[in-house]
Amino acid sequence: MSRPKEMTRAVIVGHKSILNNTIDSLHETNLFHIEDFVEDESGFKISKPLKNAEEVSKKLVKIRSIANYLGIVKKEPVVQKTDSVLRDLDSKLDELDRTIATKTEAIAQLDNELKDLDSQKKEILPYLSINLDFDYYRGYDSLKVFAGTVKGSLDESQISSITKAYEMYFDSQSKSVVLFVAKNDADRVYELLQGLGFRDLRVPERGGVPSDLLRFIEQKEVEVTKKIESLKVDLESLKVKYSDFILSSDEILSIESQKAELPLRIATSANAFIIEGWTPTENYDKVVSAVNSATNGKAYVTSLEIDEEEEDHVPVEYNNSKIAAPMQQIMDLYSRPKYTELDPSSVILFTFPLMYGLILGDIGYALILGLMALAIRKAVKSDAVKPLMDILIYCQISTFIFGIIYGEFLGFPLASLQTEHGLVPGLIPGWNTIILFNGLGGEEFMFPIHRTHMVMTMIGVTVVIGLLQLNLGYLLGFANISRHHGIKHAVLEKGSWLIIQLGAIVAAIGYLGGNSGLTYIGAGILVLGIVMLTIGEGIKGPIELPSLMGNALSYSRIIAVGLSSIYIASTVNDIAFKMIWADHSKINFLAVAAIIVFILGHGLNTVLSIIAPGLHALRLQYVEFFGKFYEGGGRKYNPFGYIRKYTEE
Amino acid sequence: MVDLAAAGPFLDADGMKALGAAIAITVTGLASAWAEKEIGTAAIGAMAENEGLFGKGLILTVIPETIVIFGLVVALLINSA
Repeated sequence: MSRPKEMTRAVIVGHKSILNNTIDSLHETNLFHIEDFVEDESGFKISKPLKNAEEVSKKLVKIRSIANYLGIVKKEPVVQKTDSVLRDLDSKLDELDRTIATKTEAIAQLDNELKDLDSQKKEILPYLSINLDFDYYRGYDSLKVFAGTVKGSLDESQISSITKAYEMYFDSQSKSVVLFVAKNDADRVYELLQGLGFRDLRVPERGGVPSDLLRFIEQKEVEVTKKIESLKVDLESLKVKYSDFILSSDEILSIESQKAELPLRIATSANAFIIEGWTPTENYDKVVSAVNSATNGKAYVTSLEIDEEEEDHVPVEYNNSKIAAPMQQIMDLYSRPKYTELDPSSVILFTFPLMYGLILGDIGYALILGLMALAIRKAVKSDAVKPLMDILIYCQISTFIFGIIYGEFLGFPLASLQTEHGLVPGLIPGWNTIILFNGLGGEEFMFPIHRTHMVMTMIGVTVVIGLLQLNLGYLLGFANISRHHGIKHAVLEKGSWLIIQLGAIVAAIGYLGGNSGLTYIGAGILVLGIVMLTIGEGIKGPIELPSLMGNALSYSRIIAVGLSSIYIASTVNDIAFKMIWADHSKINFLAVAAIIVFILGHGLNTVLSIIAPGLHALRLQYVEFFGKFYEGGGRKYNPFGYIRKYTEE
Repeated sequence: MVDLAAAGPFLDADGMKALGAAIAITVTGLASAWAEKEIGTAAIGAMAENEGLFGKGLILTVIPETIVIFGLVVALLINSA
């Protein structure tokens, strides 16, 4: 259980001549969350960006567009010296820009050429079977040339019935036709052709035999494609050669541009500046000494009181141990806690994996997913992935423990179980289920817990677990309220829920035990609780009463989702083993298929085993648990600075 | 009038129980699906505007799942009664 880091509000005032040094030192320490200045009647105005801002941002845009074009991805950093990068920045940037521009232009030109060749090819194709030099198609005075396609078939006799003076080439497959007739007969022949669905085709303008032309064009296409490929290889080598330079100069320019644009966020007058912001109290001295040493003590730094109204706007920085830190991701997904609130990350550290393990509870899946998470954590260095893998590992530890309690391995029961239909054997011979005591609905409570055989009991157990977590929520709410509004409010708003539950339990014990006196006492406590709640929260309180039951019942999803996972796994096992036992005298196709079914089925279930239990465990935290005490909506502490990866001073 | 006792195995006690359980699951399942569809489309719309709403969208989308869980509990209760 922790609270967010305590913050101090600080103000830095100085003469404009030391503004640059102050900005540099604040950026260097990376500890000061700068509060944007809003212009008011005080006479202070926001300032203009530093002189180099425009140039820096121009270069930044250029380098990012180049990085984007070359497809440069963030990678394992090769750290470079800032000044050596800066020295070559301009020349390298120009060179890079020019080379890329010429290469892309060349590629675009070649692409056009390729398209042109393609359309030429398409023109020639219909004439390919006729193979007549295109020069023969034109330049006649008394001849008319029809070139095109027809729909049906064309017979010599059809033409010869009109005229004897003709020359026809027809390809019955492609239905292309080239027909030379005397001009006098042209009209009548054209009518005939139209009747056959004649469509004109363009005759290519260059001369030559179609097959030769085609060969020539195809050769040309190969050449152009080769040229494009070699240009692309050049670009690829540019990417390899310059990626370190691009990443490091992007970083340097980003830093410069952040610094250059800071004056837009602070208050300045003709000669002075004021920077206002927040820093964790533990780091306040560091900030002060950094600013002082950078400005020779010419800047005035002081801390301010925080009044109660402002507390809601204080930026929030988590204050968790290394173990609980990954859970901050889960908190951020929902909403960062307010500065005045308890940060439940360290509670979630236990409850989230607990719920996940209760749902999945399988040794096999715990091992598969745990090893996967470890491998990904090792392989991927990304700061976003690591905490997620940590959370997954926590969950798998819990799943492993519950896997032992449930006695499950990939959907197989580990211990054998005596049922009405005889003994159901388990994977481990000799391990028999021990019956401990009677559960709900005529079931027996046993170890290991066979979930499929004690559904009603498990529903009861999960609802009790739910009630425990809900009450933990009420206690946390109690702590939150008593700190800020006093113990009386806390008792009325959150304590009343505990009293209501106590009343219900006492009444239930009295009713079941046949003790009517106890029942009346319980009812009295219940009414008292409801009255307190009404005083504490108004009419809204009693209206929310049924939600307590809904919330508690909602925890039965633990067994419901768990069962679905078991049934998928055991169905896969059933299918696979029936296939193997079908004929086990030799290794045949069916046995191989069975192995494939087994692997694919469990692969699918493994994926589902991250999604379904994860989502439902998460939901139980967010909706049921957080609903009892958590508000959220805190602002992120975002210090002015940069974490260098690719460069160093 | 149909004589219930003589109507045959269709309406015996076990059949009625199974039918009741099936109705409990089916109707609540449909209800959850419908609600999740409505919320899910809205959540995706909101996320397209602002990716930071993923967490909120996710929670809102799974909220109606409780309906089908209640249905399941009712079905199990009917079955074990």
